[in-house]
Amino acid sequence: MRIKDGFALRSIAGHHIVIGEGVAQVDFKKMVSMNDSAAYLWNNVEGKDFTVEDLANLLTDKYDVTYEKAFSAASEVAARWIEAGVVAR
Amino acid sequence: MAVKKTYCVAGHLFSLSLEEGDNTWDSLANYEPFVVSGTGEVLFSLELVQGFEMSGKRDLYLSKPETMEQRIDIYTVDGGYLFELAPFGHQDISGRMIVSGDFSAGRLTTVSDKVFCINNALMLLYAFRTAALDTIEIHASCVVNEGKGFLFLGKSGTGKSTHSRLWLKNIPGSRLLNDDNPVIRIVDGVPRVFGTPWSGKTPCYIARDFPVGAIVRINRAPHDAIHRMEVIDAFASLYSSSSGLRAIKSVADGLFATVSAVVEKVPSYLLDCLPDDNAAIVCSKEVIGHG
Repeated sequence: MRIKDGFALRSIAGHHIVIGEGVAQVDFKKMVSMNDSAAYLWNNVEGKDFTVEDLANLLTDKYDVTYEKAFSAASEVAARWIEAGVVAR
Repeated sequence: MAVKKTYCVAGHLFSLSLEEGDNTWDSLANYEPFVVSGTGEVLFSLELVQGFEMSGKRDLYLSKPETMEQRIDIYTVDGGYLFELAPFGHQDISGRMIVSGDFSAGRLTTVSDKVFCINNALMLLYAFRTAALDTIEIHASCVVNEGKGFLFLGKSGTGKSTHSRLWLKNIPGSRLLNDDNPVIRIVDGVPRVFGTPWSGKTPCYIARDFPVGAIVRINRAPHDAIHRMEVIDAFASLYSSSSGLRAIKSVADGLFATVSAVVEKVPSYLLDCLPDDNAAIVCSKEVIGHG
């Protein structure tokens, strides 16, 4: 999967949000808020193709978690991004 | 020989030039309160011309307006941008403006609706050129009370102007500053709201400014209730009511910086309301004194 063109991660008052800024996103009014670990994942996969496994590996690299737990969290994050329309399968 | 006037809106200077003998000035009285004399350096200039050459036209943002909405289509061209304007979606293009890549110089040619084209060309240039300068153009109605500006936001038809009128009628000391497109600029760390020459259908062109007291999003509901927004919702609210094409990175970066600074400094509210006197009373009770 891949982050769609024109979505940018921004920080405001300690919150992370993704907002649409590209040509196709001019009318995109919805914002997706993210916690620190989701923002970390976003920053590391921006502009690249990635899989749930890649996300899980990024989580185990940074946080002290088992691969199973990381995979489960990564699946949830990916599903949320796809549902929000900011990532394409 | 063109005739040029220089204007100052929220401390930013810009100029408009019409050809000699053009009597369109008579229809541009909304700018007169903002005229400045002298020859300060302008941020941008707009010149009316008979036509212009361009090359390399490519789609950037094509509006898909409803029949009754205005059309603004944007293209990239060699050296800058091309804007095509019309008052209504179903109508042929009324005017074309070619703009330098840094939005400092626009040239406009019109076939119809000249005043509409001039107003929109200047609003577009202003929003784009000042985006990186702590300045945002807001689609809002704004009243002043006790020396502070209160902005009412909302989708078209939710009753921004109606709510301002309810303040004028019910809340002593209220006056209208602008009914459609005020400007917020952060001056010495303080967000201030400025009157502009752009006020929608209400002729209200006031060259004054006030610290922002609060920003209120109007939401039509079967009752009147107000609550304070979290900063993240406040951001979403103000960002979606700010002018400027997000597809241009310098504009998107500037908008983000200004909108986030504003919502961190002034309170934002969501007002569920009917279009009734009580709505203004409920709203003013909460927001005056919180600024």
